Amino acid sequence: MRRFLTSVAVGTLALVLLSGLAHADSAVTVSDARLRLMPGDLPGAGYLTVHNGSDQAITLVGARCKAYKKVMMHMSMTKDGMSSMRPVPSVKIGPGEDFEFAPSGYHLMLMHRSAPLKVGDTVTVTLELEGQDNLPVVFNVVSPAAM
Amino acid sequence: MFYRLTLFALLVLVLSGCTGNDWRTTDVSDVMPPLNFKLTDEQGKTVTEKDYVGKATLLFFGYTHCPDVCPTTLARLTSIIRQLDPALRDKIQILFVSVDPARDTPKMLASYTSAFGPEVVGLTGDKAELADITNRFRITYSYGEPDQDGNYTVTHSGAVFAFDRQGDPTFMVIQSDPTSDVKADITHLIEAGMNG
Repeated sequence: MRRFLTSVAVGTLALVLLSGLAHADSAVTVSDARLRLMPGDLPGAGYLTVHNGSDQAITLVGARCKAYKKVMMHMSMTKDGMSSMRPVPSVKIGPGEDFEFAPSGYHLMLMHRSAPLKVGDTVTVTLELEGQDNLPVVFNVVSPAAM
Repeated sequence: MFYRLTLFALLVLVLSGCTGNDWRTTDVSDVMPPLNFKLTDEQGKTVTEKDYVGKATLLFFGYTHCPDVCPTTLARLTSIIRQLDPALRDKIQILFVSVDPARDTPKMLASYTSAFGPEVVGLTGDKAELADITNRFRITYSYGEPDQDGNYTVTHSGAVFAFDRQGDPTFMVIQSDPTSDVKADITHLIEAGMNG
């Protein structure tokens, strides 16, 4: 009986912990997600703001999209007047913090489009979070001339 | 004493207002040479600066496989131009010089620039022609290592150089310049050209 009670207690505790985690996941929200579509096979850029409304840090470790062969997290930098880009392996977002992927800074680089897209469409990009469920995000497909 | 100082300050303001162009972005009229180049346009035709005088020019160096900085720069400039009085809009052009001629053929440049608007003209050249124009404006560029799919990035100058309709240098825009300043300078550049 005692063993049974212990099991129940452990089970309940696990449930509480698990629901806490699930809640943390659902508190990550995204706004202003847009994909700047370039002509032909040119790589496009994805921009969005990620809000970590949970009480623990989250780490973005990548992204993928069915409409593109490869998606990379990148950062543009300007040093001594020279613009360059480098891949970013991960982005950590603290509890309660916003992280912006925005023009001339952090962005998703979407390469080698494998499905037709046009301005006005929407496309799902899945953000990969370390140790947590992936986060599918619907992006609006916008013109290259959009900021 | 206070009045004297105020008068002096006023005098300085009035005088500085009279010395022609007070660009809000960086004045490069004394440090940059006039527009001069031989390149290839989107039709594959050899062109020089003489084909583009008569309109104010914004000159920018980049490459079409650049997903972020180049489209952002062109988007900012074309959106400013679209906000201008219609009479001013066709008095300015953007020359986008690709420093990546291996991938940026005239056809590729045509499809790229048409995504931004009729005021954007794509140009490129061979190694020697690009060396001429980049050395002239003291900018550099370099290619990154290709990945397994052959993709590579290009490090390039992020600045936009502005010229009046005679091809003389005026101001330079960098990414951190506020859009309101860029808009004011572009408007002034075109209006000065119309009066002069």
